[in-house]
Amino acid sequence: MDSSLVMFGHWLQNRPYALAIAGSDWAYPFVQATHFTGLSIWVGTNVAVDLNLMGVGKKSSPPLQLSDALFIWNWIGFAIAVTGGFLLFSVSAETYLTNMAFLTKLGLLIPLGLGLHIVVQQKAPAWEKASQTPSVAKFAGFAELLLWFSVATAAVLIPYVG
Amino acid sequence: MIAVINGTAWMAATTEILHYFSMFILVGSMVIVDLRVLGLVARRQDAAQLAERLFPWIWISLALNFLSGFLMFAGSAVSYYRNDVFYDKIGIIVLAIVANIFVQQKVRKWDQLPAVPAWAKFIAVVSIGLWIGAIIAGVEVPALTGVG
Repeated sequence: MDSSLVMFGHWLQNRPYALAIAGSDWAYPFVQATHFTGLSIWVGTNVAVDLNLMGVGKKSSPPLQLSDALFIWNWIGFAIAVTGGFLLFSVSAETYLTNMAFLTKLGLLIPLGLGLHIVVQQKAPAWEKASQTPSVAKFAGFAELLLWFSVATAAVLIPYVG
Repeated sequence: MIAVINGTAWMAATTEILHYFSMFILVGSMVIVDLRVLGLVARRQDAAQLAERLFPWIWISLALNFLSGFLMFAGSAVSYYRNDVFYDKIGIIVLAIVANIFVQQKVRKWDQLPAVPAWAKFIAVVSIGLWIGAIIAGVEVPALTGVG
């Protein structure tokens, strides 16, 4: 592992705020709860749009235009998740930076998911209006669903591989 | 079977992944409905339409969440049994589900009114608060006892 990266992790986890979170009984779980709440809003709004694009449940009710409608809360959730996630990362940055599951999550899966998400978000209003959802839209929705599931998988695996 | 699931690393991890991911979908889609009742998202969509579309996913993710949660619980039932926060968590979740069933049944009526009644908005706020509370209680369970 690149030693400058490890040095950065060492520096970060010794910042006063990181030490404060690590040293308090309630702060760490509280930050965790913040991260999960943000994630719930982020993943929830993403999955709602993805399943809508895939046409799940379409037979029982008319198609919805969700992407634009959920836009603001989607990114509010993302901001909360990133803030919480960064604080959690700061607490043991050095360990995370040498953990394969974490590096896969942050270095590969999240950039991929985010890139695809932005593309989907730009195309979704047109896809949702079309009388027949194009198959590329269904595929994009499914791919995004799968990517966020992989992100959650990598996150859960962090303690297992470390 | 329970011992096998919780003793095998990949099975325990799979259970955990299912529990987290279904929780994200569950809480996310319930909060979307609550925020719509509050008039904060998707104002151009009918609240009832949005709710009707999201409810199947809510119940599917709730079922997955409950199932994976039960497997995690069963693996160290005695530790959970002695854990006060675990009871808080279950209590909060039951209240949150009751609040959402209530919203689910009333949302069509609210839609037909000229304005959503203040008490309906209050229930939506309570529901969001309960889900955040459930997450806070949830992360305290392993933090305070080392199980889960």
